[in-house]
Amino acid sequence: MTQATARPRMQAAPGVAERGGDAFVRQRGRDFLSALYSALRALKLYPPENTVVQKSLFDLQQIGEQFQKREHELEVRASREFIFLNSTRLRLDLENYASFSRILGIFREAGIGLFRLTGEATTRDWTVFLSHLQSAPGAAADDQSAPLMARLAGAGVTCFFVGPPAEVEDDREQSKEAAKRVYAQSVSATKDVISSVRMGQSPNLKKIKRVVQGIVDQILNEETSLLGLTTLRDYDEYTFVHSVNVCIFSVALGRKLGFNRRQLYDLGVAALMHDIGKSRIPLEVLTKPSSLNEEEWLIIQKHPWMGVLTLLGMRGHSDIPYRAMIVAYEHHMKPDLTGYPKPVRPRTMSIFSRIVAVSDGFDAATSRRAYQQDPYSPADALAEMSNNPRRGMDPVIVKAFVSMVGHFPVGTLVILDTFELALVHAANPQPEAISRPTVRIISDSTGNLLFPGHLVELTQRDASGEYTRTIIKLADPNRYGIRVGDYFV
Amino acid sequence: MTSTLQNSPTTDQEGREPPFSPAIVEGWLQALGKAVRAHQLYLPNNPVYQRAIEQLRANFVALWAETEQLTLAITESELKWEGVVVASEPSKSESLAWLLYQDGLRELTFMRGFEVDELDRLLGLLQRVKRAAPDEDDLVTLLWEQDFINLRYQFVEFVPEGIGEIETGASYGVERQVDMQGSQAADEETAPTPGIVSMKEFDSTVYFLDENELQFVRSALQAEYEENLPRNVLSVLFDLFERQSAEDVRAEIVEILPHLMLHFLAAGDYRAVAYLVRESRHACERAVELDDRQRDALLQVPERLGTAEVLGQLLQTIADATTPPDTAELDALFEVLGGTAMETVLRWTVHLPSGPLRASLERAGTRLAATNVTELVRLIGLPDREIAIEAARRAGELRSPGAAPALGRLLGVDDAAVRLAAAAALAEIASPGALQQLERGVEDPDREVRIVSVRVLGARGHRAALPQLEAQIRGNDMRGADLTEKMAYFEAYGALAGDGAISHLDAALNGRGLFGRREDPETRACAAMALGKIGSPPALEALRKASADKEMIVRNAVQKAVRGGRS
Repeated sequence: MTQATARPRMQAAPGVAERGGDAFVRQRGRDFLSALYSALRALKLYPPENTVVQKSLFDLQQIGEQFQKREHELEVRASREFIFLNSTRLRLDLENYASFSRILGIFREAGIGLFRLTGEATTRDWTVFLSHLQSAPGAAADDQSAPLMARLAGAGVTCFFVGPPAEVEDDREQSKEAAKRVYAQSVSATKDVISSVRMGQSPNLKKIKRVVQGIVDQILNEETSLLGLTTLRDYDEYTFVHSVNVCIFSVALGRKLGFNRRQLYDLGVAALMHDIGKSRIPLEVLTKPSSLNEEEWLIIQKHPWMGVLTLLGMRGHSDIPYRAMIVAYEHHMKPDLTGYPKPVRPRTMSIFSRIVAVSDGFDAATSRRAYQQDPYSPADALAEMSNNPRRGMDPVIVKAFVSMVGHFPVGTLVILDTFELALVHAANPQPEAISRPTVRIISDSTGNLLFPGHLVELTQRDASGEYTRTIIKLADPNRYGIRVGDYFV
Repeated sequence: MTSTLQNSPTTDQEGREPPFSPAIVEGWLQALGKAVRAHQLYLPNNPVYQRAIEQLRANFVALWAETEQLTLAITESELKWEGVVVASEPSKSESLAWLLYQDGLRELTFMRGFEVDELDRLLGLLQRVKRAAPDEDDLVTLLWEQDFINLRYQFVEFVPEGIGEIETGASYGVERQVDMQGSQAADEETAPTPGIVSMKEFDSTVYFLDENELQFVRSALQAEYEENLPRNVLSVLFDLFERQSAEDVRAEIVEILPHLMLHFLAAGDYRAVAYLVRESRHACERAVELDDRQRDALLQVPERLGTAEVLGQLLQTIADATTPPDTAELDALFEVLGGTAMETVLRWTVHLPSGPLRASLERAGTRLAATNVTELVRLIGLPDREIAIEAARRAGELRSPGAAPALGRLLGVDDAAVRLAAAAALAEIASPGALQQLERGVEDPDREVRIVSVRVLGARGHRAALPQLEAQIRGNDMRGADLTEKMAYFEAYGALAGDGAISHLDAALNGRGLFGRREDPETRACAAMALGKIGSPPALEALRKASADKEMIVRNAVQKAVRGGRS
């Protein structure tokens, strides 16, 4: 289904990344969607010859033409609850949610996944196209793109290509490679920094900033792939992988809470460096396979303030990473300032620290480590964070975290009522469907393991309106010999 | 930056006919280069800068007449457009291509509209990168932060391709089977079965933030960005210093603090400097198991700020600043200065023009003088006339009796301005000791010093000065004095001598000398005023005799004296 995939703006050479210009697409893309929404509404309310309709169609045509001229393409693609303009995911906010929601609804009802301008569209072309789009029978379960194309051709409109609803699998595969690259680079850069500190060298913060920029871009564009990679639990490289995971969770949570791009970047840098103080903890303590004694535990408890000293040791940098220091210092504190270290001077725990504390707690609880051979399942970790006040995590942040990862966080192994085994692939963004994530079926009902398996939405219903599949039970991947991370790579 | 490009981004374009003349792109690039240099060398209001920008904008117009966007491929020494070299500069120091290339950029695409709002920002970035130290942010990082709308770029990945590849587990290439029914059966044996999903848990509304919670997040985020981060980090360091008694930890903190102070000073964050100084002292008082060496080491940090060199540099920086810090910030900074800083503060107070900085320093000087009298006395005794005068002034303002001996010594120096400052300060202090020092002023060579001294001695009833005054009044020294000085002496004499002076004053006012000659009118007027100061019936009687004097100045003085000095 190559026609359905968004084309990259420009093919970059291997090893070369492309950035910039998304800001234009985001800004003008919102204008375009707003014009599209206005035209759809006007056409629904008034006859085509009405001046309101004509004006809105003219505006739409003009904005579309300008956009097309500048970007050389104009493709609107609906994917789950997101709208992509060309390859850029448009951000939903309070100002545009009505138009987003309506346009997504129209796509669903019309049984199409995308439309693309293949030539210059006149106002008449737009009138015909939008009228046909809105006259769809409603709640089309099947691909209606071909009939719609035929109707458009019959009306002499040939400047639109209409594509089928995007396959979930197709959609996600597009960004998976990018996510893997970002993830691998992040682990590598984090390893460089922590190893440099451990060897007494001055680490390169530039790399950290660069990889966090990549993480923020990836989260803003399509966070599922990157969140999926947090299920990788590399036992040998726990500290590095954990730092990257906490960064990813934190940035994704920040996005959920409405932080802007710059704030996500600041949060990401702080999150990635939150455990930098561990570079000063003796390795024999850090990697001790058995339980820590009291003295060793006291050593471990030094890492938050050691992080501050370590970051301050990175002198010569133009901007001292104060925010990262504060997060490093506070990430084991609780909002009531219990936890560790114990502050002397009055302070209020930063919201960045609260976010990192939750992300850190979740990733640490669900990871196998030297002294934690039997980690919590993601769902149990969430329950513990939500229900155990002694954990002392900020309840609002925990609530937002649960809302982000769903009741069944990415990577949770579940058994369905079909007796299939499935891994949770992505949370459902719809509040009413929090218990129905996207899952990857990894075994059939008779126990045959499938690799890589296939994605299904648990919101799917059969002809009688019943859900096709429902989660009935959580399961332990170790019991089935399943390495969760492999399914996300 | 070792990533290998397998293909140059524009390799496939080479050999193709460009869509329009490369001369247009070359001209535009030359204008861009000039604008980059102008941005580096001149302020925005400089005509040279403005011409360079105008020229570049004109070149943009010419460019956009031909195309909607322009893509440049970047190599170490060249910029290429459509495979054609449009800029070549072998020398790296001035090369735009190298500037872009060295930070990893390999392709830049400018789009119509870039010149409207984004040109200045890009020029600013290029300037920043040119001056950046190796460990500062590179161009790619800065470009990301700017989030340009009309500029796109390609760059080599920081981490080379292939590093940190993620591999899947080897076991998943083969088919396997898990015992679903068995595991299901095993689970069913235990009740209640762990992990069984309870649908009642799925009250979705529980997991979405309500308005209060959203408001909490918004407020917390706002607080996050309003937080004084340097101060916050300093509070962490001082907490650590107080709580961690380990030698190496404290030594590390003491080593960090001067660097931070320097950073805050350079950044103009004077509140953070003030906090650092203040908390250094507090930490010394509160730290557990603090030995003398650690205490001294920590206290050295704030004390350095008060040294003449450091404080002088700081004040110079503030005085030179285009946008001076606000008064509250300055007051916060100067508030933490110790006594050793007083000399520098006073010196700068004298030299600065009036303004917020001077006003702040004035306040700081007053505070320092009030809390450090010993240092103030030392400064009064310095051979530096400016410091001595300023210190004397402060001592007078503070009415500090302890400063009187030092001020008295100043009355013996040659410099009349210094003696005057000392006399004025002693007059303000007006303690018995100060008045005693001031007796010296009665015979000072300088008129101003004499007047100040005589007036205060008279006003304060310092009778020990009477013999000196009487000698002056009765001697011939007064004859050459002007009316003001004479008046000061006579009034002081009257005030100190009382009725004992009436006969002499009556004679001066009403008496006649040889050949019936009277004293000059000014002396007689002064005598009248002195009698008025005495105010007793005999003194008034003497005044009444002159009430119809033919000299107007005398008559006026008499009338005024009778009314008790009121005009």
